[in-house]
Amino acid sequence: MPRSKPEVKLDRGAEKLSAKLAEATTRRSFLGRLGAATLAVAGGSAVAAAVKPDDAEGFHLCGHTWTTGSCPSPYPPLSRIDRNGYPVHPQSGRPIDNLGRLVDAQGYAINSSGNRRRGPDGRVLAPAPRTRLCQDWTREVHGLNDTRIQGSWFRCCGGQIRKLVDCCSFSRRRINGDASLTGYCWGGRRVFCVQYYDTGLPC
Amino acid sequence: MLETFTPAVCGSRRRQRAAVALFTASAIAAAATLGALLGLVGGVVGAREAVLAAGALALLAAAREAGLVRLPLPQARRQVPERWRFELPLPLWATGYGAGLGAGVFTFQPVSTFWVACAGALALARPLPAALCFSLYGAGRAATILWARRRGGEAVEAVERLAAGRGRLLRANAVALAACAALLFLAPAAGARLKVVAWRSLDPTEASGYVAFARQNGSVVVRPTNPIVYRGASTPSLDGDFLAYRDRAGIRVVRWRTGRQVARIRGPVSKPALDWPRIAFRREGRGKRYLVLRNLKAGTSRRIVTVSGALGRPSLRAGRLAWHVTRRRSSGIYLQTLSTGRRRTIASSRIQNLSNPSLNPWRIAWVAESSGMVRLRLRSISGGSTRTLAQRRTRGQSYWTTALGRGVAYWTRWSLGTRRANIVRARY
Repeated sequence: MPRSKPEVKLDRGAEKLSAKLAEATTRRSFLGRLGAATLAVAGGSAVAAAVKPDDAEGFHLCGHTWTTGSCPSPYPPLSRIDRNGYPVHPQSGRPIDNLGRLVDAQGYAINSSGNRRRGPDGRVLAPAPRTRLCQDWTREVHGLNDTRIQGSWFRCCGGQIRKLVDCCSFSRRRINGDASLTGYCWGGRRVFCVQYYDTGLPC
Repeated sequence: MLETFTPAVCGSRRRQRAAVALFTASAIAAAATLGALLGLVGGVVGAREAVLAAGALALLAAAREAGLVRLPLPQARRQVPERWRFELPLPLWATGYGAGLGAGVFTFQPVSTFWVACAGALALARPLPAALCFSLYGAGRAATILWARRRGGEAVEAVERLAAGRGRLLRANAVALAACAALLFLAPAAGARLKVVAWRSLDPTEASGYVAFARQNGSVVVRPTNPIVYRGASTPSLDGDFLAYRDRAGIRVVRWRTGRQVARIRGPVSKPALDWPRIAFRREGRGKRYLVLRNLKAGTSRRIVTVSGALGRPSLRAGRLAWHVTRRRSSGIYLQTLSTGRRRTIASSRIQNLSNPSLNPWRIAWVAESSGMVRLRLRSISGGSTRTLAQRRTRGQSYWTTALGRGVAYWTRWSLGTRRANIVRARY
């Protein structure tokens, strides 16, 4: 339920503005590229100043106030990723493989104590695949081979900055099954699904 | 109907017997056909969903028979066309009457059991057993004709006496349907077909009806009537009279009945797959793994594949070799025909973890793991659709190595938390 605070009204106004921006292809694509470059260079500090301190509200994940569904992931609908688009655990943010198991740097499944998991034969389990949600999962689950991470936006969630990321495709249907929106995609692509990256930067 | 099969109507006792015989045969055939069709459709729908639906329907039907709910039954309120016996020859109308009543859907349904039986046939998901079960319905239809005749006196009076006990019949039917519902809910078809073959065991292998597997305590068991145990052994592979397994020195091949060694492969080798005199196994190298095929009689070896990822337990049968490779960004099941060298990808995925294939001369099975789900998949070697033999929706359990016999699949089911493994079996 939305809180009737001036900040919330301002937030809604910002959303409407961003929607208008999204409809304008040239401006949106420029903003999308600029935003990505800025975050990459400044580590998010420039973005933090532009984000309200109050928590953002979303439909199925915090910060996502639009309707496009989450990208397929090991813990649907929580399509949390690291900065390279690989899955991480939605609660802890630690790397996970495609089976949803915590993994170490070499990709071996580990338990909560950090020890490598063993199989019924007593040997260490071989690493399972760990692939990108946007490029690899949507390709296999939905048959799309043109998906790219493009535009993004930032919201404050749980006291830290969350980057919501559009997974964009030339498909005119989004993961929900209905017509896709342009969102923050550019070059003719539209939003197929969304995912998110928690930066850990306080807000 | 009862007054139709009389000597007066049929023309003579001989013709009456012929009419009854034709009626009976066609009633049974029609019912069996209906059962077979339902069983066929059930195979497409999926056993687990159909069983739960049948259980729910049985419960509802029991409530209806007990008078707790009022539900109209789907039925055709028709009798057999009387004009047939005037217009058609006896063989035709007797057969037609039998087929119409045997099919069940073209006539009155005094109780709801027929529809529960239909749901049960769907849940059975096997045409032949469903046909056999439904043929009993047709026989029951025919029995009413025979029973009424044998009671003596007027057949109609006999039926009226039966109808007078309808209340008792409905109550008994309600109890029977409730019991059916309980059984259906307790034993989903997919689970009822599963049987644990061995506890605290893994790595099943099957040949000619014999099964061998490894115990988690470090021994290999071959199970004919009196099990034979090899200690200090693991990852067995059975082929006829021969057994290959891994021990401390490498791979050993023996005649399992006598224990006499017939071959030895030393070194960092493991995971044998035996199809005498050929054996495939994994060899560890410097950061790589090799799948090697050796002819134990001729003494020749060749390297089939070299991988830097995970190379799993191969399966060797009828001149074909199957194996799995898991890399950081994909996994796949591969099959090579040894005579031609032709290699193909049976399944691959960038998401799932595909592993542990097993072969028989006609089919290949493997394990497909995804987040929160594990499935045992089965497909014909020549192609076609892939189906799921078993699955678990859980993060706490998974499947491991597999073996395929003739019409029977074995696989290891294990717990990620305790690492305890059991071998289960199911028919397909």
